[in-house]
Amino acid sequence: MLDWSTAAPAIGAAFLASVVEVVEAFTIVLVVATLRGWRPAIVGTGAALATLTAVVVVLGPLMNRVPVPVLQLFIGVLSLLFGIGWLRKAALRAGGVLPLHDEDAAFARQSALLGAEVQRAKAAQDWIAGIAAFKAVLLEGLEVVFIVIAVGAGRGMLVPASLGALAACALVLGIGAAAHRPLSRVPENRLKFAVGVMLSSFGVFWTGEGLGVAWPGQDLALLVFAALFLGAGLVAARMVRPDVEAFT
Amino acid sequence: MSISKDIWGELTKMFVSDARVTGFILALVAVTAALCFGTDLPPLFAGAFLLCGSLSILVLGVRAEARRRLAAKGRAPDKI
Repeated sequence: MLDWSTAAPAIGAAFLASVVEVVEAFTIVLVVATLRGWRPAIVGTGAALATLTAVVVVLGPLMNRVPVPVLQLFIGVLSLLFGIGWLRKAALRAGGVLPLHDEDAAFARQSALLGAEVQRAKAAQDWIAGIAAFKAVLLEGLEVVFIVIAVGAGRGMLVPASLGALAACALVLGIGAAAHRPLSRVPENRLKFAVGVMLSSFGVFWTGEGLGVAWPGQDLALLVFAALFLGAGLVAARMVRPDVEAFT
Repeated sequence: MSISKDIWGELTKMFVSDARVTGFILALVAVTAALCFGTDLPPLFAGAFLLCGSLSILVLGVRAEARRRLAAKGRAPDKI
Protein backbone atom coordinates (compact mmCIF):
# COMPACT_ATOMS: atom_id res chain seq x y z
CA MET A 1 0.00 0.00 0.00
CA LEU A 2 1.38 3.38 -1.06
CA ASP A 3 2.02 5.80 1.82
CA TRP A 4 0.95 9.10 0.26
CA SER A 5 2.65 11.29 2.90
CA THR A 6 5.97 9.93 1.58
CA ALA A 7 4.96 9.25 -2.01
CA ALA A 8 3.31 12.59 -2.79
CA PRO A 9 6.44 14.75 -2.23
CA ALA A 10 8.56 12.20 -4.13
CA ILE A 11 6.18 12.05 -7.11
CA GLY A 12 5.61 15.83 -7.06
CA ALA A 13 9.32 16.69 -6.91
CA ALA A 14 10.19 14.18 -9.66
CA PHE A 15 7.34 15.48 -11.84
CA LEU A 16 8.16 19.20 -11.46
CA ALA A 17 11.91 18.74 -11.86
CA SER A 18 11.38 16.56 -14.93
CA VAL A 19 9.11 19.18 -16.52
CA VAL A 20 11.96 21.71 -16.27
CA GLU A 21 14.58 19.32 -17.64
CA VAL A 22 12.43 17.90 -20.45
CA VAL A 23 11.43 21.43 -21.57
CA GLU A 24 15.14 22.32 -21.86
CA ALA A 25 15.98 19.12 -23.75
CA PHE A 26 12.93 19.53 -26.00
CA THR A 27 14.09 23.02 -27.05
CA ILE A 28 17.40 21.63 -28.35
CA VAL A 29 15.80 18.60 -30.02
CA LEU A 30 13.43 21.04 -31.75
CA VAL A 31 16.41 23.12 -32.91
CA VAL A 32 17.95 19.99 -34.45
CA ALA A 33 14.65 18.99 -36.07
CA THR A 34 14.14 22.49 -37.47
CA LEU A 35 17.65 22.77 -38.90
CA ARG A 36 18.29 19.21 -40.11
CA GLY A 37 14.93 17.40 -39.98
CA TRP A 38 13.44 14.91 -37.55
CA ARG A 39 15.71 11.97 -38.45
CA PRO A 40 18.89 13.13 -36.64
CA ALA A 41 16.74 14.53 -33.83
CA ILE A 42 15.02 11.17 -33.27
CA VAL A 43 18.22 9.12 -33.69
CA GLY A 44 20.12 11.36 -31.21
CA THR A 45 17.24 11.29 -28.71
CA GLY A 46 16.84 7.52 -29.04
CA ALA A 47 20.57 6.92 -28.49
CA ALA A 48 20.52 9.15 -25.39
CA LEU A 49 17.46 7.36 -23.97
CA ALA A 50 19.18 4.00 -24.56
CA THR A 51 22.29 5.26 -22.70
CA LEU A 52 20.12 6.53 -19.83
CA THR A 53 18.35 3.17 -19.64
CA ALA A 54 21.75 1.44 -19.43
CA VAL A 55 22.79 3.81 -16.59
CA VAL A 56 19.58 3.01 -14.67
CA VAL A 57 19.92 -0.75 -15.28
CA VAL A 58 23.53 -0.70 -13.98
CA LEU A 59 22.95 1.69 -11.04
CA GLY A 60 19.65 0.21 -9.83
CA PRO A 61 20.92 -3.17 -8.56
CA LEU A 62 24.09 -1.53 -7.16
CA MET A 63 22.01 0.71 -4.90
CA ASN A 64 20.33 -2.32 -3.32
CA ARG A 65 23.75 -3.48 -2.07
CA VAL A 66 24.55 -0.25 -0.23
CA PRO A 67 23.48 -0.14 3.45
CA VAL A 68 20.43 2.16 3.84
CA PRO A 69 22.05 4.76 6.21
CA VAL A 70 25.05 5.11 3.86
CA LEU A 71 22.73 5.50 0.87
CA GLN A 72 20.62 8.07 2.75
CA LEU A 73 23.69 10.07 3.74
CA PHE A 74 25.18 9.95 0.23
CA ILE A 75 21.93 10.91 -1.50
CA GLY A 76 21.15 13.47 1.21
CA VAL A 77 24.44 15.33 0.73
CA LEU A 78 24.09 15.29 -3.08
CA SER A 79 20.47 16.51 -2.78
CA LEU A 80 21.57 19.33 -0.49
CA LEU A 81 24.25 20.38 -2.97
CA PHE A 82 21.90 20.12 -5.96
CA GLY A 83 18.83 21.58 -4.20
CA ILE A 84 20.53 24.58 -2.60
CA GLY A 85 22.29 25.23 -5.93
CA TRP A 86 18.94 25.37 -7.76
CA LEU A 87 17.22 27.34 -5.01
CA ARG A 88 20.06 29.87 -4.84
CA LYS A 89 19.90 30.42 -8.60
CA ALA A 90 16.09 30.65 -8.58
CA ALA A 91 16.24 33.22 -5.73
CA LEU A 92 18.84 35.24 -7.68
CA ARG A 93 16.50 35.19 -10.70
CA ALA A 94 13.48 36.11 -8.58
CA GLY A 95 15.50 38.94 -7.04
CA GLY A 96 16.43 40.28 -10.48
CA VAL A 97 20.16 39.58 -10.13
CA LEU A 98 20.11 36.97 -12.92
CA PRO A 99 17.88 37.20 -16.01
CA LEU A 100 14.95 34.77 -16.23
CA HIS A 101 15.48 31.70 -18.43
CA ASP A 102 13.84 32.29 -21.81
CA GLU A 103 13.15 29.22 -23.99
CA ASP A 104 12.60 31.38 -27.10
CA ALA A 105 16.01 33.01 -26.58
CA ALA A 106 17.57 29.59 -25.88
CA PHE A 107 16.03 28.29 -29.12
CA ALA A 108 17.48 31.22 -31.12
CA ARG A 109 20.90 30.87 -29.45
CA GLN A 110 21.07 27.10 -30.01
CA SER A 111 19.91 27.50 -33.62
CA ALA A 112 22.72 29.99 -34.31
CA LEU A 113 25.31 27.79 -32.58
CA LEU A 114 24.28 24.58 -34.30
CA GLY A 115 23.82 26.33 -37.65
CA ALA A 116 27.38 27.68 -37.50
CA GLU A 117 28.78 24.28 -36.48
CA VAL A 118 26.93 22.49 -39.27
CA GLN A 119 28.14 25.09 -41.81
CA ARG A 120 31.73 24.55 -40.69
CA ALA A 121 31.51 20.79 -40.93
CA LYS A 122 30.05 20.71 -44.48
CA ALA A 123 30.07 16.90 -44.48
CA ALA A 124 28.31 14.77 -41.85
CA GLN A 125 25.92 17.58 -40.96
CA ASP A 126 23.21 15.18 -39.78
CA TRP A 127 25.77 13.49 -37.56
CA ILE A 128 26.62 16.78 -35.81
CA ALA A 129 22.93 17.61 -35.39
CA GLY A 130 22.25 14.13 -33.99
CA ILE A 131 25.12 14.49 -31.51
CA ALA A 132 23.64 17.82 -30.32
CA ALA A 133 20.28 16.12 -29.63
CA PHE A 134 22.08 13.18 -27.96
CA LYS A 135 24.04 15.45 -25.61
CA ALA A 136 21.02 17.56 -24.67
CA VAL A 137 18.78 14.59 -23.90
CA LEU A 138 21.55 12.70 -22.07
CA LEU A 139 22.55 15.64 -19.87
CA GLU A 140 19.02 16.68 -18.94
CA GLY A 141 18.09 13.00 -18.58
CA LEU A 142 20.96 12.37 -16.15
CA GLU A 143 19.62 15.20 -14.00
CA VAL A 144 16.15 13.57 -14.08
CA VAL A 145 17.68 10.19 -13.11
CA PHE A 146 19.52 11.80 -10.19
CA ILE A 147 16.39 13.63 -8.99
CA VAL A 148 14.33 10.42 -9.16
CA ILE A 149 17.02 8.63 -7.12
CA ALA A 150 17.31 11.56 -4.69
CA VAL A 151 13.62 11.73 -3.87
CA GLY A 152 12.80 8.05 -4.26
CA ALA A 153 15.69 5.85 -3.14
CA GLY A 154 15.69 6.60 0.59
CA ARG A 155 12.22 5.15 1.21
CA GLY A 156 11.85 2.67 -1.63
CA MET A 157 9.84 5.17 -3.69
CA LEU A 158 11.82 4.75 -6.90
CA VAL A 159 8.87 3.43 -8.89
CA PRO A 160 6.38 6.20 -7.92
CA ALA A 161 9.09 8.86 -8.47
CA SER A 162 9.90 7.34 -11.88
CA LEU A 163 6.21 7.45 -12.76
CA GLY A 164 6.17 11.16 -11.83
CA ALA A 165 9.13 11.74 -14.16
CA LEU A 166 7.55 9.72 -16.98
CA ALA A 167 4.29 11.65 -16.61
CA ALA A 168 6.26 14.89 -17.00
CA CYS A 169 7.98 13.55 -20.15
CA ALA A 170 4.64 12.53 -21.64
CA LEU A 171 3.06 15.89 -20.79
CA VAL A 172 5.90 18.02 -22.20
CA LEU A 173 6.32 15.89 -25.34
CA GLY A 174 2.54 15.88 -25.92
CA ILE A 175 2.26 19.67 -25.60
CA GLY A 176 5.50 20.17 -27.55
CA ALA A 177 4.35 17.93 -30.40
CA ALA A 178 1.06 19.83 -30.60
CA ALA A 179 2.61 23.31 -30.30
CA HIS A 180 5.69 22.52 -32.43
CA ARG A 181 7.61 25.44 -30.90
CA PRO A 182 9.71 26.07 -27.76
CA LEU A 183 7.60 25.88 -24.60
CA SER A 184 8.43 29.42 -23.49
CA ARG A 185 5.29 29.86 -21.39
CA VAL A 186 6.29 27.25 -18.84
CA PRO A 187 6.98 29.20 -15.60
CA GLU A 188 10.46 27.73 -15.40
CA ASN A 189 11.85 29.82 -12.56
CA ARG A 190 8.86 29.09 -10.33
CA LEU A 191 9.23 25.38 -11.07
CA LYS A 192 12.97 25.57 -10.32
CA PHE A 193 12.20 27.40 -7.08
CA ALA A 194 9.73 24.66 -6.10
CA VAL A 195 12.12 21.85 -7.04
CA GLY A 196 14.99 23.55 -5.20
CA VAL A 197 12.80 23.76 -2.11
CA MET A 198 11.86 20.07 -2.34
CA LEU A 199 15.38 18.80 -3.07
CA SER A 200 16.89 20.88 -0.24
CA SER A 201 14.21 19.53 2.12
CA PHE A 202 14.91 15.95 1.06
CA GLY A 203 18.62 16.72 1.41
CA VAL A 204 18.34 17.79 5.05
CA PHE A 205 15.94 14.91 5.77
CA TRP A 206 18.08 12.12 4.27
CA THR A 207 21.38 13.54 5.56
CA GLY A 208 19.91 13.69 9.07
CA GLU A 209 18.45 10.17 8.83
CA GLY A 210 21.75 8.84 7.48
CA LEU A 211 23.50 10.31 10.53
CA GLY A 212 20.95 8.76 12.91
CA VAL A 213 18.66 11.76 13.52
CA ALA A 214 15.06 10.69 14.21
CA TRP A 215 13.03 13.63 12.91
CA PRO A 216 9.90 14.44 14.95
CA GLY A 217 6.78 13.59 12.93
CA GLN A 218 8.94 11.42 10.64
CA ASP A 219 8.04 12.09 6.98
CA LEU A 220 5.82 15.04 7.92
CA ALA A 221 9.01 16.87 8.89
CA LEU A 222 9.59 17.21 5.13
CA LEU A 223 6.66 19.64 4.92
CA VAL A 224 8.13 21.79 7.71
CA PHE A 225 11.52 21.80 5.98
CA ALA A 226 9.88 22.73 2.68
CA ALA A 227 8.06 25.66 4.31
CA LEU A 228 11.31 26.86 5.89
CA PHE A 229 13.32 26.59 2.64
CA LEU A 230 10.54 28.33 0.71
CA GLY A 231 10.52 31.15 3.28
CA ALA A 232 14.31 31.43 3.26
CA GLY A 233 14.42 31.51 -0.57
CA LEU A 234 11.76 34.22 -0.73
CA VAL A 235 13.46 36.26 2.00
CA ALA A 236 16.80 35.99 0.17
CA ALA A 237 15.21 37.10 -3.14
CA ARG A 238 13.47 39.99 -1.41
CA MET A 239 16.64 41.01 0.39
CA VAL A 240 18.61 41.59 -2.83
CA ARG A 241 15.80 43.08 -4.95
CA PRO A 242 15.88 46.69 -3.61
CA ASP A 243 19.60 46.93 -4.28
CA VAL A 244 19.21 45.60 -7.81
CA GLU A 245 16.32 48.03 -8.46
CA ALA A 246 18.34 50.93 -7.06
CA PHE A 247 20.96 50.40 -9.75
CA THR A 248 18.73 49.82 -12.78
CA MET B 1 36.19 12.82 -26.14
CA SER B 2 34.46 16.17 -26.33
CA ILE B 3 31.12 14.55 -25.45
CA SER B 4 32.47 12.82 -22.34
CA LYS B 5 34.25 16.04 -21.32
CA ASP B 6 31.03 18.03 -21.75
CA ILE B 7 29.04 15.45 -19.80
CA TRP B 8 31.59 15.39 -16.97
CA GLY B 9 31.58 19.19 -16.88
CA GLU B 10 27.78 19.32 -16.68
CA LEU B 11 27.66 16.64 -13.98
CA THR B 12 30.18 18.59 -11.91
CA LYS B 13 28.17 21.78 -12.41
CA MET B 14 25.07 19.96 -11.10
CA PHE B 15 26.60 19.67 -7.64
CA VAL B 16 29.18 22.45 -7.61
CA SER B 17 27.33 25.51 -8.86
CA ASP B 18 29.41 27.68 -6.52
CA ALA B 19 32.61 26.32 -4.95
CA ARG B 20 32.19 28.30 -1.70
CA VAL B 21 28.58 27.20 -1.19
CA THR B 22 29.60 23.59 -1.89
CA GLY B 23 32.48 23.90 0.60
CA PHE B 24 30.20 25.32 3.30
CA ILE B 25 27.61 22.56 2.79
CA LEU B 26 30.25 19.82 3.02
CA ALA B 27 31.74 21.47 6.13
CA LEU B 28 28.25 21.72 7.65
CA VAL B 29 27.63 18.01 7.08
CA ALA B 30 31.04 17.17 8.57
CA VAL B 31 30.32 19.22 11.72
CA THR B 32 26.84 17.66 11.97
CA ALA B 33 28.40 14.19 11.77
CA ALA B 34 30.91 15.18 14.47
CA LEU B 35 28.04 16.38 16.71
CA CYS B 36 26.19 13.09 16.14
CA PHE B 37 29.08 10.69 16.68
CA GLY B 38 31.62 12.69 18.70
CA THR B 39 29.50 14.24 21.44
CA ASP B 40 26.82 13.22 23.93
CA LEU B 41 24.36 15.74 22.51
CA PRO B 42 21.00 14.34 21.37
CA PRO B 43 21.01 13.62 17.58
CA LEU B 44 18.04 15.96 17.15
CA PHE B 45 20.30 18.86 18.21
CA ALA B 46 22.64 17.94 15.35
CA GLY B 47 19.63 17.75 13.01
CA ALA B 48 18.51 21.25 14.04
CA PHE B 49 22.08 22.46 13.47
CA LEU B 50 22.05 20.93 9.98
CA LEU B 51 18.70 22.53 9.12
CA CYS B 52 19.61 26.01 10.43
CA GLY B 53 23.02 25.81 8.77
CA SER B 54 21.50 24.89 5.39
CA LEU B 55 19.01 27.78 5.58
CA SER B 56 21.79 30.20 6.53
CA ILE B 57 24.04 29.00 3.69
CA LEU B 58 21.18 29.56 1.24
CA VAL B 59 20.42 33.12 2.38
CA LEU B 60 24.07 34.15 2.73
CA GLY B 61 24.95 32.46 -0.58
CA VAL B 62 22.28 34.47 -2.43
CA ARG B 63 23.40 37.68 -0.74
CA ALA B 64 27.09 37.08 -1.49
CA GLU B 65 26.42 36.19 -5.13
CA ALA B 66 24.24 39.28 -5.62
CA ARG B 67 26.94 41.47 -4.09
CA ARG B 68 29.61 39.85 -6.27
CA ARG B 69 27.60 40.28 -9.48
CA LEU B 70 26.65 43.87 -8.74
CA ALA B 71 30.25 44.70 -7.88
CA ALA B 72 31.39 43.09 -11.13
CA LYS B 73 29.01 45.35 -13.04
CA GLY B 74 30.53 48.32 -11.24
CA ARG B 75 27.29 49.22 -9.62
CA ALA B 76 27.57 47.62 -6.20
CA PRO B 77 26.10 49.43 -3.24
CA ASP B 78 28.34 49.88 -0.23
CA LYS B 79 26.32 47.34 1.63
CA ILE B 80 23.81 44.79 0.50
